[in-house]
Amino acid sequence: MSAVKARSSPGQKTLEFSGGPRPVDSDAKGAKLNGSVEPNGQAAGGHASEQNGAAGDNASSHHVDHGRGKRRATAESMAAKQRDISVSEFFAKNRHLLGFDNPRKALLTTVKEAVDNSLDACEEAGIVPEIWVIVEATGNNRFKVSVQDNGPGIVKKQIPLIFGKLLYGSKFHRLRMSRGQQGIGISAAGMYGMLTTGKPVKIISKLSPKKPAHYFELQIDTKRNQPEIINGKGDGVDVEGGKDFHERLKKHGIDWETHYKAAAGQEPQEVRSGTRVTIELEGRFIRGRGSVDEYLEQTAIANPHVTLHYKDADGNESSYERSTTDMPPEPKEIKPHPYGVELGRLVTMLKDTHAGTISAFLTESFSRVSSGVARKLCEEAKISTRMNPKKVGRQEADSLYQAIQTTRISSPSTDCLVPIGEQLILKGLHQVVPGEFYCAATRPPAVYRGNPFLIEVGLAYGGVSSAQKVPLEALTELLSESDARTLRQFLMNTFDGIGSEASDKILTEAKMGTRQSPAKLKKDEIVQLHAAMRNVNLSEGQSMQVLRYANRVPLQFQPAACAITQSVIGNNWRAYGLSQSRGNLPQGPVTVMVHMASVWVPFTSESKEAIAGYPEIQKELRLGLQAVGRKLGMYLNRKVKVRQEGERRSIFLRYLGEVADAVGVLQEYSDKKRTEIYEKLLSIAKRKTAEADTKYDDRGRKVEQAEEEFGENVLIVNPETHEEVQQ
Amino acid sequence: MAKKAPKQDKSSAPVALSTKDRKTLSSLRELAGSVVQYAERSRPPHFEVPSRSLSNVKYNQTRRIIEMGSGANRRELFNLGQAKSFMQTVLVGSKCKGLIEQGKTASIRQIFYLCKHTIKGTSENTFDEQEECDPIIEDVEVMLNTLREELHVFASNRGTMVGNITINDSGDTIDCSRMGSGGYSIPSIVEPDVIEFRECDAKFILHVEKDTVWRRFNEDKFWKEHNCILTHGGGQPPRGVRRLLSRLHNELKLPVYCLLDNDPWGYYIYSVLKQGSINLAYESARMAIPEARYLGLRSKDFQECELPDSVQIKLNEQDIKRAKQIAGYPWFEKKKTWQKEIEQMLKNGFKLEVESLISKDISYVTEEYVPQRLEDKDFLD
Repeated sequence: MSAVKARSSPGQKTLEFSGGPRPVDSDAKGAKLNGSVEPNGQAAGGHASEQNGAAGDNASSHHVDHGRGKRRATAESMAAKQRDISVSEFFAKNRHLLGFDNPRKALLTTVKEAVDNSLDACEEAGIVPEIWVIVEATGNNRFKVSVQDNGPGIVKKQIPLIFGKLLYGSKFHRLRMSRGQQGIGISAAGMYGMLTTGKPVKIISKLSPKKPAHYFELQIDTKRNQPEIINGKGDGVDVEGGKDFHERLKKHGIDWETHYKAAAGQEPQEVRSGTRVTIELEGRFIRGRGSVDEYLEQTAIANPHVTLHYKDADGNESSYERSTTDMPPEPKEIKPHPYGVELGRLVTMLKDTHAGTISAFLTESFSRVSSGVARKLCEEAKISTRMNPKKVGRQEADSLYQAIQTTRISSPSTDCLVPIGEQLILKGLHQVVPGEFYCAATRPPAVYRGNPFLIEVGLAYGGVSSAQKVPLEALTELLSESDARTLRQFLMNTFDGIGSEASDKILTEAKMGTRQSPAKLKKDEIVQLHAAMRNVNLSEGQSMQVLRYANRVPLQFQPAACAITQSVIGNNWRAYGLSQSRGNLPQGPVTVMVHMASVWVPFTSESKEAIAGYPEIQKELRLGLQAVGRKLGMYLNRKVKVRQEGERRSIFLRYLGEVADAVGVLQEYSDKKRTEIYEKLLSIAKRKTAEADTKYDDRGRKVEQAEEEFGENVLIVNPETHEEVQQ
Repeated sequence: MAKKAPKQDKSSAPVALSTKDRKTLSSLRELAGSVVQYAERSRPPHFEVPSRSLSNVKYNQTRRIIEMGSGANRRELFNLGQAKSFMQTVLVGSKCKGLIEQGKTASIRQIFYLCKHTIKGTSENTFDEQEECDPIIEDVEVMLNTLREELHVFASNRGTMVGNITINDSGDTIDCSRMGSGGYSIPSIVEPDVIEFRECDAKFILHVEKDTVWRRFNEDKFWKEHNCILTHGGGQPPRGVRRLLSRLHNELKLPVYCLLDNDPWGYYIYSVLKQGSINLAYESARMAIPEARYLGLRSKDFQECELPDSVQIKLNEQDIKRAKQIAGYPWFEKKKTWQKEIEQMLKNGFKLEVESLISKDISYVTEEYVPQRLEDKDFLD
């Protein structure tokens, strides 16, 4: 703001200053940096600069005051309204940032956060995870969501903090590959439930069979961001372990999965430890795209070591059994890499460090910084290596930051990443997605902005669309539940892999208008639609289904904003035998899963729905997709060839009978002799076509060797028998 | 497989087979025998089908007919493109065998129906169209080096004859001068065992292109006045007509004059009558009449006969192309009169039908045009 302008219209200046945060002068900035930086940068930043703004207003208001009429507010009266914004309050108002924008999504996010936490806990403890998810409708659009795991349990004093305080957790401060990152999720879900239904979050946690189980009913004090324990006079309730534990639980009215599901004829085993969280919230239970069902199915694909039990709001029970008991190796925690640290973070780290010198600070706090590198950085920044980090000023911190950007530092170690692995991707896909051909590729680790990451891609080909499996009753239900305005929209939104082309095909077959309302269909019309969905060949109109994962967590929303979807669309699938129009997903019965594993996944928003497209990430995505694409191309090519060969053979076989007949007539052969001739011709035909198989490729050139091999990590399944053909 | 027994009427007395029939049957057997031999040696069977394309015909300068070369196409059972036609070939062969054994003849259309059935276990037919079947019949003819009639196959009658000649057709005596307005319909098979020439007063043969012109001549009793035989072949003359003309010419020493349209099509009809056709080159020796003469219509006739402009039919592109092609045939290439004739037509830029002469007078063609030409001996060779 120029001085001239300030003088000519002083009133305006006042308004502007008080209107909003404008940290323009160095003083204000300094104040901000020196002030405590809270984990939630957004809320804290807004708060800090507002104060600065108020201060500026106060200082400048004196000389512009006189000659003016009545003041609207004084600095003092305004100061009375200025106060802390609690993180909880902030998120209560901005719930969409965390994925609670609508009731439908809120239900899913709640399940998702609870399951993600459970899986993280089990894996960290080294327990093969078994998760129970129960969604119950309690009327009035309210649902009770319970998620139980067989994890290590949580110690009593931590329970209220973990579930009743936002931004409390173990995962934010470390760089380690895990599902959760910020420590917002589950407590935000609890808060959402409390806000919409007034019901507290119920948690029961058990560490071992003998020890007592801790039972809490919590509410969040949104103003103070503090948990409030309701039961047991603010202390929670302990339920004695040991014998009769289950009876005692029942007496308290606490639900608990007591035993694992046993194989037939075996004694069911007791669940020895674990945590169960129950949240009642306002939601909407749906099926199809963006549903809990879909989330669990996709979770099962990326986590083949997990068994999931699911009881949905209609009381249907289903399970996804684990296909392996091998736990993924424990991911290592790493120190941040200098490239991934922003200036603000660097300043905080400088303040918090216990190291005595800059050199020690750099080598201790960062990965890949040796004392040599530290010296180089200091030289570049023109500061002494022996300087006390606490005394590093803003200017020096800035030059140190610049020095980091210009100095070559080797990439971070990548052993902190735990991929799902090609074999397990194949297993997971095969378990959940029907198909005939599966392949997978795990890319070597790479680095973006100092964060190691790796990309894994799996592909399943040949499954039938979910639209063709849906039973009539389910379809009737889906139609009545759908909020889609037109039938066409309903088909596209509800079923995976159905694009506009396929839905048009179905509706033409059913002789229905695309713009008909799904809720108003008559019974016989539904039957008609159902028949059409079954009969239409969707494999051509079907578009590729893309399953996106970040650290084994499925991403279900904002596909268009995600780097994964963009890369899939950007890839040229025509080269691999699929049809694809520009700027669209390819067509065909194909499911692609893409997993990004990283110590820090760059989401485009806090609700963790889409991955940001850093060039390094895009490159790895491209290479991964190409790797599976090539294998798919080979498979499809071979399939075409086999079909052609089969056709060739069948052409010969078709005419052999006629030839044998005619020759028999001409030679006046007996039937027996005719059959003999036929058999002989048949064996020649078989030999001839077999010869052709090995000798020529499709261009008629001689082929020296047998077929090109797919290489590793391919699974071919006979679609009729579901038996594995080749691995 | 192989359960369908041929439909032979076993109760009736066996038909007496002629020597010719026995010969045909044995060559049919040989055809099948080669398949059996290959099969027994575990070799893929094939036939050698003499090629009936332009590339495999030669113009024999001394005999002045088109002859088939020695080129042949291999037809393999285990070749995707040939498997079906291989099957069709043996199928046609087996049906011909049945015909011979029963002493019956069938038209090519009937052969098509005889052979057409759905292949067991598929929805495919052995033959879908008669157009598929006809060339296969011709293939069998050339492969066995037999004539169509020897296979007991005939084509539908096309072509008519009247004139001062008496013949015997399958035991019936026919006086071709007493055929009324319709004339004697020339059968497809006119071999001596079917048709015998008894008496002939006629001194020459006038062959006209089509039925309409023929009726004009018959109505005007041209043949009576000029003591000739009058025939037409309904456009491109079928084998029966060609064979009959050839026999009349060779056995009764009757010169043949052709009255055809002045267009490339007419020229080609003359060419086929004279030298034989490309497709049936193997039959040329029996059918071609190298001494046949082209009487009309000529390119010069428009001027000479002072025809009105209205009778001109403009040459289209295809006509021009075809005319040039015909001018390039080896048997026309060295004939200056023909080169001049075709050149003249191209220069005229129009063609003339025989019917155009009617613009002078209804009977101009029978009373003036043809008699004048005959008198002047104004023919093209």
